[in-house]
Parts: sequence; C-alpha cells; structure tokens
Amino acid sequence: MAAEMNKTTKVGIISCSGEEIAEGTISRNAVRRVLESLRPHDAVTLCLPLFLAGNEGERNFARTHPTITIDGCDKQCARWGTEKHGGPVACSLVVSDILGDQAASCSRSLRHRTQADAQAVAIVAERIAAEIDALMSEGAQPEMPEDPSADVCACMKPVNTGLVTVKGQQVEIPALPLVFAEYAKQGLRADDAAAAGLIAKAKVFRYIAPEEEDEYTKALLEAYRVYLGG
Amino acid sequence: MEKERDTVLVMPCSGVGKVHGLISREAAYLAVDELAPRTLDLVCLALLVREDEETLAKVKAYPCITIDGCGKACAQKNVEIAGGQVATAFQVAKALSKQRATQPGTGSELTEDGWMVTREIAEAVAEEVDRRCAYKEVT
Repeated sequence: MAAEMNKTTKVGIISCSGEEIAEGTISRNAVRRVLESLRPHDAVTLCLPLFLAGNEGERNFARTHPTITIDGCDKQCARWGTEKHGGPVACSLVVSDILGDQAASCSRSLRHRTQADAQAVAIVAERIAAEIDALMSEGAQPEMPEDPSADVCACMKPVNTGLVTVKGQQVEIPALPLVFAEYAKQGLRADDAAAAGLIAKAKVFRYIAPEEEDEYTKALLEAYRVYLGG
Repeated sequence: MEKERDTVLVMPCSGVGKVHGLISREAAYLAVDELAPRTLDLVCLALLVREDEETLAKVKAYPCITIDGCGKACAQKNVEIAGGQVATAFQVAKALSKQRATQPGTGSELTEDGWMVTREIAEAVAEEVDRRCAYKEVT
C-alpha cells in the first residue's frame, strides 16, 4: 500500500529542439514514439523554448513531474534549461552518446528518411521507455505536488478541439473545451464581457484574420452559450 | 565571403506535440537544403534561448526569418529578445487556416496536404531570401 502511494503517475520528457542536427530530429521522433505507442499513459512532454523563455506553465510541469531530458548533442540545452528553471532532472540522455557513430547516417528531414533513421529512433525510444519504467518502479517523486490547473504548452501536448460555426462552415479551435470550462468555472456568462477574452484565447491557437474577428467572436459566444446549456 | 555577406538565418518552431512544429521544421529544411542553400542558414531555437555565444553572434549579425507553429511565436519572440532582426515571421497556423479543408498530418507524419503547405512556406522563405539579396545587390 505504501509502495502504491509513493508511485509517480507521470514522467515528464523534455526533448532537444536541435533543428540543426539529425540527432535533434531523432530525439523528437523518439519522444513522439514513446508518447504515442511505447508509454502513452506514463509520459507527457513540454516545449523547451517556452520553458526556457519563462513560461510558468512549462516550468510548473517540470517542478511537478520527475523529468527525463533527451538532448541531441553535448551542449545539452534541455538538461541545462530544466535544471536551471525546474530543478534537478531524474535522468538525462544524449542521443550522440546512445547512438555513437550510428547517427552519422541519419537525416534531419523526413524527406530523406531511411531505415537507419527508423532504427536510430527505435533505439533511443526504447532507452527512454526503459528509463520511464525505472522511474515509475522506483516511485520517483516530483519536486512539488502536481497542480491540475496548471497551463501546459499547446504546442507540445495535444489538446481537445472545439467546433464553432463561422459563415456556415465548421471550424476547429484547439483547446476550446478547456477555455469554456475555465470560463464557466469563473462564472462568466456568454455576453460581451466574455467575448474579448474568448477571441483572444482562440487567436492563440488559431490564426484569425482581423476582418474575420467579428464573425469568430459571434461564433465563439454562440458556442459558449450552448456549452452553458443555452 | 560573398556567401557570408548575404547570409539569412531561418529559425523554425520546436513544438513536438502537433503537426505545426513538424511543418515549420520541414519547411526550414526544404528551404535550406534545396531552395536557397547558398544563402540560408538554419539555427537552433534552444541554443539561442540558452544564450549560446556562437548562436547569439549569428542572430545579431544576420537577418532572421522565423517559422513559428502557433500564435505563441516562440521563435520570433526569442530572436527579438536576443537583439536580432526578424526579417519576416511566418506562422504555420496561419498558412493552414487559409486552406480550411486541409488535413496536414500529425506531429510525426505529414500527409500530401501537409507537404503542400510545407512547400508553400519554404517557397515563401526562399522568395524572401531572394528579395533581400536582390535588394542588397541594388544598394
């Protein structure tokens, strides 16, 4: 029973963004494989540049989850940033250390992907999964208790989308259900006071041309009205 | 030397969770590798935010084209914070919304639609590079 209580529920993975090198692409694809198929229920991720730039939602994530950083090169930006802003990492991996010379034949673009890339991603993903298993079985503890209301970057964590009808066409707005839930929790009604906030939030997740803002605002208010039960 | 004088940097988004980040990176690779290989240079966003000296020097020395995934515009904002000059800021979400029916893929794979949008952005980046280089030659 005590062991159950000590178990962590999620491990955070912070990936290198290393756009310049193949190892960066391998690190991101390996993280996606872990999240999509190897350990979908045990891991979450967050956006390194947002984290480094001071986004509190991202930093809160690292403080509230044991974290694994996966870097492309020995500059270790992910580890550096996490330790500076979120506290010590539970495990730090470097793709070039794991793969050695094997990464030399890999590509940074999907357009040039070969069997070598697939193998490299598989090796790194398996290593990340093994580290997650180790942390889960050790019952690694986060720096702080998890804050369920904390903001997490939409770029890194797939979010639910909501539909609104604009000029007769259905349009998807990412994170809309979350926005509606938060507004409802605050007791906001579907009126002009909520309109400015709704359009501002929607514009974070979807480009809305200035000439379309009025139509979108009406559509968002209508959808929010329906969400509140009419 | 000629190449250095005309260098333009491109900095894509780093998002992993959705298709936007993947499109931004693939557009950058396409532009750097095929469309404007002599003048375009790609730089890591994380290295910039980490204040890597070499990356900071590059960003301060050359104009930078940013390709962000979403409205949070991490690449654009971080170039500006670093004291760099954003020549043009592209946004994948904006490009996607212009084609409402598009199904671009996921954070791991791009569909035909996704590659089409990727190429459009890459070509726009290359056009911007050509425009800036032509302007330099004139002046």
